[in-house]
Amino acid sequence: MNTPIIDITDLSKTYGKSRGIDHVNLKINEGEVFGFIGPNGAGKSTTIRILLNLIFPTGGSARIMGMDVIRETKKIKQLIGYIPSDANAYPAMDVQEFLSYCMRFYNVQNGLNRIAELAELFELDTKRKIDDLSMGNRKKVSIIQSLIHSPKLLILDEPTMGLDPLMQAKFFELLRLENQKGMTIFFSSHILNEVQMLCKRVAIIKEGKIINVEDIETLRKKQLKKVFIEFEDHRNKESLNLDGIESIISREDAELSFMYSGMINELVGSLAERKIANLTIEEPTLEEIFMHYYN
Amino acid sequence: MNKNLFLNEMRRNLTSLILWTTVITVLIVITMSAYRTFFENQSKVMGMMSLVPKSALQFKGISNFKDLLSVLGFYSVNNVIYMMVLGSIFSIVLSSNILLKEEYNKTAEYLLTRPITRSEIFFSKISVVAIHIFLLNMVTALAGFICMEVVKNEPFSIKAFLIISLFTFLLNLLFGAIGLFISTLVKRAKPITTFSIGMVLFFYFIHTISKISVSFSKIGYLSPFKYVNTEVLKTNYGLDFGNLLYFVCFTLILTGISYRIYTRKDIYL
Repeated sequence: MNTPIIDITDLSKTYGKSRGIDHVNLKINEGEVFGFIGPNGAGKSTTIRILLNLIFPTGGSARIMGMDVIRETKKIKQLIGYIPSDANAYPAMDVQEFLSYCMRFYNVQNGLNRIAELAELFELDTKRKIDDLSMGNRKKVSIIQSLIHSPKLLILDEPTMGLDPLMQAKFFELLRLENQKGMTIFFSSHILNEVQMLCKRVAIIKEGKIINVEDIETLRKKQLKKVFIEFEDHRNKESLNLDGIESIISREDAELSFMYSGMINELVGSLAERKIANLTIEEPTLEEIFMHYYN
Repeated sequence: MNKNLFLNEMRRNLTSLILWTTVITVLIVITMSAYRTFFENQSKVMGMMSLVPKSALQFKGISNFKDLLSVLGFYSVNNVIYMMVLGSIFSIVLSSNILLKEEYNKTAEYLLTRPITRSEIFFSKISVVAIHIFLLNMVTALAGFICMEVVKNEPFSIKAFLIISLFTFLLNLLFGAIGLFISTLVKRAKPITTFSIGMVLFFYFIHTISKISVSFSKIGYLSPFKYVNTEVLKTNYGLDFGNLLYFVCFTLILTGISYRIYTRKDIYL
């Protein structure tokens, strides 16, 4: 069996008395495009910062390509690229100067060609001062610096913040191409659509704990259905009590909407005794599944 | 040490080095250009100075007014202060910001995700601090030496000049180490700059207070300025190994502690 490219075991981080992450376990295989989703403050950035050795864990361990993230951080960083959420490069440098500076940390052949190629793709003027760049252009610089050395693993923390939809599409296309060439992608975001578009597998983190790791498709196809019922008489909805009802989405007058994980036959059987005006059973969106896990 | 980071840091801090070196050099040149006039009008000036309270002269570092008539004494009293106080402010501001600015400017995420260890970052950056302090001291001391050669009336002790220059450099290095140490303990750069400058001025103040008041004489030992002997005209003036040890030990200890903290600290942005 292949060694996972990222192997996190019981990883914990506390900040004094407050929680960072709590016994996180995660294995990501080589070649995967893996999504890491959760709202702000759930522990995504804390996990990433431990992987990058920016902060130290208070418990557990993490390995990248079989190497310990603390002891072998230099070797690891030869092989990984990182796009931070908050892109801030040295303001006094121009783009070319900054990217060349980043490039010189690696032993790369044709690094300048790679910079020129990526700058052209993202329509970035490399002669401009970083201080004069818009948020979107700074993000482009951030993307380019992470790819100069063709890393084996790319870690992205909210990477599309500030990018316009056209550039986002180009960026995603580039990620798909790099993935086809063998690059593993660890994609952290709270924007589910992005994760859905790109990732095959996803981990959901809530309050510092991983609550689910699933294939995106499995997650979608899981028994979970979104049910909408319009009763003829609102009193009918009060007595509806089924084991499969996971969470109520809305309850207004004679309408009831909920997530349902039970047998459809049981639901229909139970409804047969009631007067209903309308019934809709549909696949929930990823957003709704996500909210279900969070509620 | 990482060559790429080292060269980049040298470049980034060059403007500040040039600016500080120019200011201190200009002050030295201006002051030394007044020596000839001072010497030629010594009887008038001495008459005026006799009216100045002794404590005010001690505050300025003048133990014997006649010392000012020697070019080295004049240089020591007037210019070493620039090099000691301004040089130390330059050193502490440079060192307290060199690591911290990566966090403050949110560039640490770029730097620390390169194939470079924290040790390499630390040593690349402190090498820049040491070299910049050395260059500042070299240029300003050289400017002082040339000025003395130009305006002197009689030969002066080059040995005494070299010793005072060495201790000024060591004082600046110690403040560099203090700045580095403080920066590993705090998170925000802007207050640290003000705090660092205040610290140099505070130590200079308690040093001068200790010289003019017997009741405050003990407090002077807390100040690094105390360990630079500026009485260059004394016959027994030489290399004080006790003071040398003080500077070397404190600089190394503070740098060592800073290294230990920096390589183990969480970097927040």
